[in-house]
Amino acid sequence: MAHVDPAQLCFEHVRTRRYIIASYWLVVILAIPLWWKTTSIERLALPASRVHAASRREILFPVTVNLETKDGTDAAAAAQGVKFWLEMDRAVGLASAVDISVTTGNKSSAAYNVVLGRGDREPAVEGRQLYFDMLPEDDQLSWDVSMGRLANTLSKLLMPYSTYAASHLQAQRVMTYSPRYRLAFTLLNEDAASGNAALAWDVRGAIQTHFVPLLDKLSVLHNFTIESQVQFHAPLAFETQPIQHEDSEAHGLTHEDLTVFVNSAEWTLSSSASNDPVMHFVLFIPSAKNSPLHILDHEGSVHPSNAFLLPQWGGIVLLNPTHPPSSTLNPLPRLSAADLDPVFNTFAYQLLTLLGVPGLPRDVQPVRGPAGTSQEPFTEWELDALLRRRAVENVRGSSETLESIVRLVNQIEGMPVGPDVKDDVQDALEALNEVHEASRFSPIAALKSSARALTLSSRAFFNPGMLALLYFPAEHNYAVYTPLFASVAAPLVGAVLREIAAWRRARRAAREQANAPAQQTIAEPARGQ
Amino acid sequence: MRWQYCWKTALVLVVQLAVVGAASEQFDEDLTIRPLRDGKLSARFSFSSLLKDARPRDPQQLSNDDEAQHYALFPLALGQILREYAVTELHLSLNAGKWNYDAWGYPDEPGIGTGAELWVWMGESMPASVDLRWQGLRNALAGLFCASLGHLDEQRTTAPALTFQPEGSLPNFTYPHQLRHATLPSEHVCTENLTPFLKLLPCKSLSGIASLLNPHRLFDADWHGLGVHVRYQEAVGVEVRLTFQGVFDPVRYSNERRRDWSLHSVFDRSIERACPVARSSKIRVELPPGSSPYSITPDPSAINDGVATYVVDASEEALDVAMRWPMEDTFEYPNTSEAPPLTEVSVRRNLKGTNQAEAQLTLVVTNNLPVQVTAGYLETMPWLLQFHLHTFHAHVNGVARDDLVSILSYTPPVPHSRPALLQAVLTLPPSSTLHLTMDVVKPFLRYTEHQPDAQRGWDLPPAVLVPFAFGKGQNSTVAASHGRRPRRIYTPIMLVDLATPDFSMPYNVIIMSCTLIALIFGSVFNLLTRKFVVVRVSSAPAAPAEAAAEQRQR
Repeated sequence: MAHVDPAQLCFEHVRTRRYIIASYWLVVILAIPLWWKTTSIERLALPASRVHAASRREILFPVTVNLETKDGTDAAAAAQGVKFWLEMDRAVGLASAVDISVTTGNKSSAAYNVVLGRGDREPAVEGRQLYFDMLPEDDQLSWDVSMGRLANTLSKLLMPYSTYAASHLQAQRVMTYSPRYRLAFTLLNEDAASGNAALAWDVRGAIQTHFVPLLDKLSVLHNFTIESQVQFHAPLAFETQPIQHEDSEAHGLTHEDLTVFVNSAEWTLSSSASNDPVMHFVLFIPSAKNSPLHILDHEGSVHPSNAFLLPQWGGIVLLNPTHPPSSTLNPLPRLSAADLDPVFNTFAYQLLTLLGVPGLPRDVQPVRGPAGTSQEPFTEWELDALLRRRAVENVRGSSETLESIVRLVNQIEGMPVGPDVKDDVQDALEALNEVHEASRFSPIAALKSSARALTLSSRAFFNPGMLALLYFPAEHNYAVYTPLFASVAAPLVGAVLREIAAWRRARRAAREQANAPAQQTIAEPARGQ
Repeated sequence: MRWQYCWKTALVLVVQLAVVGAASEQFDEDLTIRPLRDGKLSARFSFSSLLKDARPRDPQQLSNDDEAQHYALFPLALGQILREYAVTELHLSLNAGKWNYDAWGYPDEPGIGTGAELWVWMGESMPASVDLRWQGLRNALAGLFCASLGHLDEQRTTAPALTFQPEGSLPNFTYPHQLRHATLPSEHVCTENLTPFLKLLPCKSLSGIASLLNPHRLFDADWHGLGVHVRYQEAVGVEVRLTFQGVFDPVRYSNERRRDWSLHSVFDRSIERACPVARSSKIRVELPPGSSPYSITPDPSAINDGVATYVVDASEEALDVAMRWPMEDTFEYPNTSEAPPLTEVSVRRNLKGTNQAEAQLTLVVTNNLPVQVTAGYLETMPWLLQFHLHTFHAHVNGVARDDLVSILSYTPPVPHSRPALLQAVLTLPPSSTLHLTMDVVKPFLRYTEHQPDAQRGWDLPPAVLVPFAFGKGQNSTVAASHGRRPRRIYTPIMLVDLATPDFSMPYNVIIMSCTLIALIFGSVFNLLTRKFVVVRVSSAPAAPAEAAAEQRQR
C-alpha cells in the first residue's frame, strides 16, 4: 500500500490554498460595486449652485416715466427734482423691484406719462397718464413741496406694495397665484322653509354687469371659470347674539362668530371636479328666526357694513329682506338685477382685494368720463403694479421651492432624484432666467415665465418618485440580505483568519529554526560535558 | 290661527308661482310606499331635478373652456362632474342586502345588484377617449359619494350594451355613443354615502319628503340602496334623479308583532314642513290587495287604481301617514310554498365544488308562467373565475336541452387585466326549470393582488336575466311592445374562495434559499481550502503518541 503524503499533492500546497481564498475574496470585492449599483437609489445631481444664485438674484423692473409740461415750466428741472426725491426714497430702502427713471420729451418710448400743470386740483390718472398740479406759487419752497408730492405719488402708484404694513396685510388676504381660478357664487338661504328666502336670483345678469368687464381686464393675469348655485337650507353652526337695533329686535354676529361663520360640514360649497383654487362669493339670507342679522363691531354696536371678507377664501354678504318677516308675502321670491346691484358691487370689490389689486392712493382720483361713460374698474397703473407684484411673488416662491428641494435632497440621504425632477428643476431655472430677461421690456411676458417657473418648481417638489424611500428603506435591504451574507461571510472570514494564523506560526517557526542552530552550537559543549 | 294658516298657504302659492315662473329648472319629489305580502314595507324615495333645454356636453368641446354653470335646483357638484367628463347618461347604485324577487316582486328601481354598480353612456370622440373619461368619472364619483368606486377599474369594466340600454335619448353627435359598465359587489353602503347624497338635494333632509331620510332607520332596513340616475331626453333636458329604496320590517319594530305602520314608526320622523322649491311633492301608498280589512289615515288627497296619493303642502300639522289592520292581532307570515312567486322567472346561481383549483357554476332558472319565456342572460365575471365554455350545458328535468341556449357570445377574460363577458338568450319552456352548468377554473393570484382580508374570499358580481318575450310564435308578446322596457332580474352575488398563500412566504423563501446557498457554499469552500493530513495508525501502543507528536511538529 503506497502512501502519498497529502502535503505533496499540488492542491494541498499552502500557496494554492491561499490563491483559492484570495480568488474568493477577489470575487466578493469585484461584486461589491455591482451590488452597490443595483441596490442604490438613483440620485442625480441637482444644479445647487445655480439654484442658490437664482434665489439671491433680485428681479428689477426698469420703468420710464416721462414728464411733460403744459405751461412752459422747465420739464428737465422738474425731472431733476423728482429724481432727487426718488433717490432719497431708495436710500432709505423704500423702493423695491422697480427702477424708476425720469425723462422728458420722449413721450412715445416711456411707459408712463406725467402731465404737469398749475393749480390745486387733486392728482388724477387716466390710462398710463397722470395729471399732476403743482402749487401755483413760483417760489423755491413750493417747487420743492410739489416735487416731493409728485415723487411720493409716483412711487405710491408704481410701487403700492412696498410699505411694510400694506404688504403684510395684503399678503394675508391675497390668494396665492394660480393661472386659473374658479369663482363660485352661492345664494345661501339659512332656512327657505321658514318663509324668509330668495328662491332664485338673476345671477347671470349681475355677473354680466359687474364681473365681466373686470375679468376681461384681469385676463392677462388669470383665467376664470364661473359657477353659481342656490341652497335652501344652510344652517349656521352657532347661535346669533340677540340685540336691540333701531328700537327693534335684531341679531348680531360678533367677530368670533365671523371666524366660524362658514359651516363647511353642512354647506356644500366646494366641489371635486378640478384642482383650481376656488373663490367663494356667498350671499347669505338669514332665516325668519335670525333676521335682521347685522355684524357687530368690537363695542357690540351694529356695524354699518353687512359684508365681510375671509382671507384667501372669498367674500360673504348678508342680505336682510327689506320687509319685516311678518309681512304677508314672501318678501324675496326672486332677486332681480336691481336687488343684486349693491351685493355684486361688494363682491367685485372683494374679488379685487382677494386678487391683490392695490387700489389708487387716497389722494389720486381716476379721470371721470364726460357724461357717465362706463368707468374702468381699475387703472392701468394698478394693473401694471399687480403684474409686477405677481411676477416678483412667483419668482420668490419658485426660487424658495427650488432651494427647499435642494435642501431636502441634501438632508435626506435615501431620497431618490430621478431625471424628471432634474429636468423640472432645470426648466424652472430656465424660466427664472427668462423672467429676468423679460422684466426689461414686458411685465406680461415676465409674469408668464414666472408662472411657468412656479408650476415647474412645485411639480418637481411634489414629484411622487421622490417618495420611493418611504416604501423601500435601507433597513429592509439589509434584512433581506443578512441571512445570505452573514452565513457566507463566516467561513470566508474564518478561512482568512486561520490562514493568517498559520502564516504567522510558520514565520515564527522559521525564525526559531533560524535561531536554533546558533543555540545548538552554544548548547552542544554543555551536552558534551 | 286660521288667518295664519291662510297667509302661509298664500305664501306657498306665491313661492310656487315664483319658482315656476322663473323655472328653467324644476324639482319633483315623490315617495312610493308598498306593503308587501310578507309583512314588510317597501319605500322608494325619488327626487328628480330637471334642467330644461340643457344638452350633455359634446366631448369634442372638452379641450375648450366650458360655459359658466348656473344652477338653482340642479346639484352643482354632480353637474360639474357630468360636464367635466361629458357624460350623457349615468346610473349609479349602491345597495346592501339581497332583494327577494319571489316575495317582493320587481323593485321600483331596477338596479338592485348588491354592492356598487355604475354604468355610463358617453360619446366616443377625441381629444379625451371614453376610457380616460371613464377613469376620471369613477374617481370623481368616488370622491363625491365617499365610496370605493375608484376600484371599478379595467379589471371590472365591460360593455354589455344589449342589457343596459340607455333610458333616455342619446344626442345625435356625429360619432357613436359607448357604454361602460362595472360592478363592485363588495362595496357596502352606509351613512358616509348617504350624507353626500343628501347634500345634493335642494332641501337636504331638512324639509319635504327628504326629511324622512333618517340614517338610523334607513340602515336598519332589511334591504336598502341608493341610486343616482342621470339621463338626457330630447327636447326636455337633462334630468338627475336621486333615489333611495328600502324594505322595512314593521313587524320587527312593533312590540305586538303587528304589521301596522306609520311614517313615524318606520322612519322615526314625520313630515313637518314642505320643501319650498318642489314643484310637486307626493306620497303614494299602494293599497294592499286581498281580503283583510285595513284603514289608512289621514284621508288621502286622491285614490285611483288602488293607489292613495297625499300631497305634501305647507299645512300646519305634520303629515304622518299610517296604515292599520285592526282585525289582526299579530301578523301571520304567509306560507311561502303556497304563495306563488311574484316574478315571471325565478333565478338561483351557485358555485359548487370544494376544490381550490376548479368548480362548477350552476344557474337554475324557473319559469313561473304557463307560457314560454325568452330571456337574455348576462354574466360579467372578473378573471377570478374562468369559464370552460365547452362544458356549458342546459338540462330540463334531467334531459339535455342545449338547444334552449342560443345566440351565445363570449369575450374571454385576460388574466390580471380584463373580465369575461358572457351573453346568451335562454328559451324557458312553460312552467319548468332550466339548469345551466359550466365548469370553471380558479386562477392563482399574484402575491400583490390579494386583498387585505384574503381569507374571506372574493365577491363575484351578480348575473342579470332579462325576460323579454312571453309566449310562443304568433302568440308571443314582446315586453317592449307594451311600451315598457324589459325588466332586469339580478341574481344574488357569490363568494369564491381562491387559493390563498401563507403571506409570510416570501420571507420564508428568502431564509430557505439563503440557508441552502450558505450550506452549498460552505461545503464547497471547505473542500477547497481544507488541509488534508495522513494520520498513521500503527498497532504499537506508542503509535498514537507518536502520531500526535508528528502532528504537533507540523
